[in-house]
Amino acid sequence: MSPFVNRITPKRDQWIWPVSGMCVVLGFMVMMAWVTEDNRRSRFGLLDPGQRQRVGEASVDPDAFRDMSAQIEALNKQNTELQNALGKGKDSTQVLNKQLQAAKAAAGVTKVEGPGIIVTLRDAPDVSAKSNLPDIIRSQNNIHDLDVLRIVNELISSGAEAISVNDHRISGLSSFRCVGPTILVNDIKIASPVVIKAIGDAATMSGGLNLNDGVLSEIRSMDPKMVTIELAKTMSLPAFAGRTEFRLGAVPKELP
Amino acid sequence: MIAVPFIALIIGALLAFGLHIQPLHGIEGQYLAVACLAGLDTVLGGIRGGLEDRFDNAIFVSGFLSNICIAFLLAYLGDKIYLPLYLVVAFVFGVRIFNNLSLIRRSIVTIAKDSLARRKRQAALAPTPTPETTP
Repeated sequence: MSPFVNRITPKRDQWIWPVSGMCVVLGFMVMMAWVTEDNRRSRFGLLDPGQRQRVGEASVDPDAFRDMSAQIEALNKQNTELQNALGKGKDSTQVLNKQLQAAKAAAGVTKVEGPGIIVTLRDAPDVSAKSNLPDIIRSQNNIHDLDVLRIVNELISSGAEAISVNDHRISGLSSFRCVGPTILVNDIKIASPVVIKAIGDAATMSGGLNLNDGVLSEIRSMDPKMVTIELAKTMSLPAFAGRTEFRLGAVPKELP
Repeated sequence: MIAVPFIALIIGALLAFGLHIQPLHGIEGQYLAVACLAGLDTVLGGIRGGLEDRFDNAIFVSGFLSNICIAFLLAYLGDKIYLPLYLVVAFVFGVRIFNNLSLIRRSIVTIAKDSLARRKRQAALAPTPTPETTP
């Protein structure tokens, strides 16, 4: 064996340990910079519109959402059964349970049944035929997040007690956002037709929507076929299936 | 041996995971992501230097720390003066990462080829067993 081999071999590999040490630091840093479910929202607003669209489109897997919704529904049902069982004992616990169920219904985390209206919004059917029109005109023939938001707002102000958009229940934590050709409702992708169901006094809600220069008049001015309103004697709205826990907010210990 | 830094990278990630280190929120997370790009470039530069027998420990460590700080500060400065300077960092380090990776690949291919050729040469020089002759 050459006498130089022993001297050269350690020198050749002397880079391994410093580089590996820095790799540990780098791995640590990468984990700190990683986008998780917790910090996604705080980072999302910092992206440019194009990147926001790419990231947003992949935000929720619809199949996984459906599975999770079924699980949440089963757990909520179980939770309610347990609360009802506990409430059967004393009068005081019965009252508390009644209030708890009412609060849950108000928060939108329970199913709701009752009469109401169904508003269906569709993209104008002849959009493709108008392909020679400028993009800005063509985009007005599509249903946007703002249209849904304004209609939901109008329904609430007309006395709607519970609202769902394409069977996604609207709660105080709901959001509407346009991502490319789709709309995200509670971060779930939906597309035309958009079916908004609202439980409440159907006549009042219908009147609120059909006001002159109201929220629907602008959509109808593009194409009256884009909006249809039906009255429903009874219908069922699903429970809100999004996150309900608070990360930073907390109820004050000393309530007024 | 070249796998050791990559294993170390995973160990670092697992360490952060095990210590329940929370990922950064907001803009600091973005700055750190840019800094990670600089760190990755320096690490790949170190591996390349090692494979080419040109590795210097002091230059490597100082380069790692200064590149991370410069990338972080440049991205921060860009937001202060309304210029997307993080793009400069992403572009420069992105190009350097590709360059380093291609040179690492070449070094590994060369080392593998040399090793193969050496083995062939050794096999050719080895004395071949003489066949036994039957009486």
